[in-house]
Amino acid sequence: MTSKNNKPFLGFGLGLRSDHYQEIIDQQPKEIDWFEIISENYMIDGGKPLYFLDKIRQDYPMVMHGVSMSIGSTDPLNMEYLQQLKNLIDRVEPIWFSDHLCWTGVDHKNMHDLLPLPYTEEAVNHIADRIGQVQDFIGRQMLIENLSSYITYTTDAMTEWEFLSAVCEKADCNILLDVNNIYVSSYNHHFDPLEYLKGVPAERVWQHHLAGHENNGNLIIDTHDHPIIDPVWDLYDKTAALLGPVSTMIERDGNIPPLADVIAELNRAREIATPHYHANHA
Amino acid sequence: MPEELHALQHRFQDYLEGKSEDFIKDIVSSENALAEHRLGAYYNAYRIRLIDCLATDFPVLRKEVGAEAFEYLVLDYLKLYPSEHPSVRWVGRHMVEFLQHSTHENRDFLAELAQFEWAQGLSFDAANSDQIFTMDAMAVIPPEQWPSMSFAFSPSTRWLDLYWNIPPYWTALDTDGKAPQKQIEEYPTRWLIWRKDLRPNWRSLEAAEAWAIEASFKGANFAELCEGLLEWFGEESVAMSAAGYLKQWIHDEIITDIIINA
Ligand SMILES: [Fe+2]
Repeated sequence: MTSKNNKPFLGFGLGLRSDHYQEIIDQQPKEIDWFEIISENYMIDGGKPLYFLDKIRQDYPMVMHGVSMSIGSTDPLNMEYLQQLKNLIDRVEPIWFSDHLCWTGVDHKNMHDLLPLPYTEEAVNHIADRIGQVQDFIGRQMLIENLSSYITYTTDAMTEWEFLSAVCEKADCNILLDVNNIYVSSYNHHFDPLEYLKGVPAERVWQHHLAGHENNGNLIIDTHDHPIIDPVWDLYDKTAALLGPVSTMIERDGNIPPLADVIAELNRAREIATPHYHANHA
Repeated sequence: MPEELHALQHRFQDYLEGKSEDFIKDIVSSENALAEHRLGAYYNAYRIRLIDCLATDFPVLRKEVGAEAFEYLVLDYLKLYPSEHPSVRWVGRHMVEFLQHSTHENRDFLAELAQFEWAQGLSFDAANSDQIFTMDAMAVIPPEQWPSMSFAFSPSTRWLDLYWNIPPYWTALDTDGKAPQKQIEEYPTRWLIWRKDLRPNWRSLEAAEAWAIEASFKGANFAELCEGLLEWFGEESVAMSAAGYLKQWIHDEIITDIIINA
């Protein structure tokens, strides 16, 4: 598989959340083109989550998004986890799968948080090598997502976008570019988000996340529990103009509103992005 | 092994676990947000996320001890049992053990309460059954084959032996009702827990049925069940009683198959 010139465009999707299972099945909303699932929520033996997953999968394309690969950890890769991931991939047949440019723990512990990495050559080599191992084991290319981060390491030798680009070029994987995370990190670390957008290899950007958060003053914490804010919509507008058609979805993890409210946000994303796509391809 | 990265990750994790503050010097401090403030975001997120996760797994334990005490309970728990599983689903798997060995004055009650909530979770996402054995399928088994019938149960089926009146207590608190008196018995009551219509179900078992279900799990056939049940029933009614249990289990949808060993 090559990452050039064959980037699929899935349209506009949502994160699948248990609060919406029944509404989705009853209404089968046409505005939702696809769903993203959190892989770990379905790495179980049976019962309700898998029941609804299988049912909804019949009606919608899906992609899988993981939080526990810990690709940047210095612990060995967890092969048991990867086998479970592979089993779920066989079940769901997602269009692609993704995880984060982060680590979640060392010494076999899991902090269950997406912890940032230092932007060093050492880390680039380590992570690219591990992404290669994962892609070989799964037999498919993966997407890697940028984080919201609150700290800068004293050892950083490059910018975040240089780091992300270097890892993905070296590993030959694609990018899940979270527009909200770029906004949050640019606010917390005082960089220009446009520089970030211009700094990543456009042909590798296969998916976007959009999400909301609450601004608590001098540091923004990424919470996914609010509607998307206007500056993030603006940034998404610029992203669409720069990068062209990229499959976009909205993540909502807390204060989950009725499905109709999230669909309204999704329609706004569609209205913002689509004119740029037509302009680009005219 | 990327040595510098490895050492850095150790310092970060030690910071998160409250073991050392050495990591602060790895972080750039800025005027608007000091390193301590920035790191606090991670320090707090780790705790809040796992408190929320365990509050979902143990909702009534949380109500019983109170929201604030529950937070401290989880923080103490994480010191002894940090998560070692990729999924948050399993963070709480040592909670019963933790409570049993705690110094809490109600520890026996709380441990049984946690045991009941954890068992519900296990039942909730246990493996599916390929099929459910029905009364119609039962009806075609010829009477002469009944003695050699043995039983397969759905993977979500399990039982707990509880000394305290946990399930009724749980239901009252779960539905925001008035908590009944805590009561302890000299002998435990066996509670059957299984999944039906995607939800955990439970009911208490009398001694005879408790024995019968355990024997069936271990592979006893119908003839052996009847023999064992003679401890509770007379010769003339024992087969009827055993058949009654079987009918109930089929109705509960916990029997997945009946195997005839010719
Ligand atoms: Fe994201």
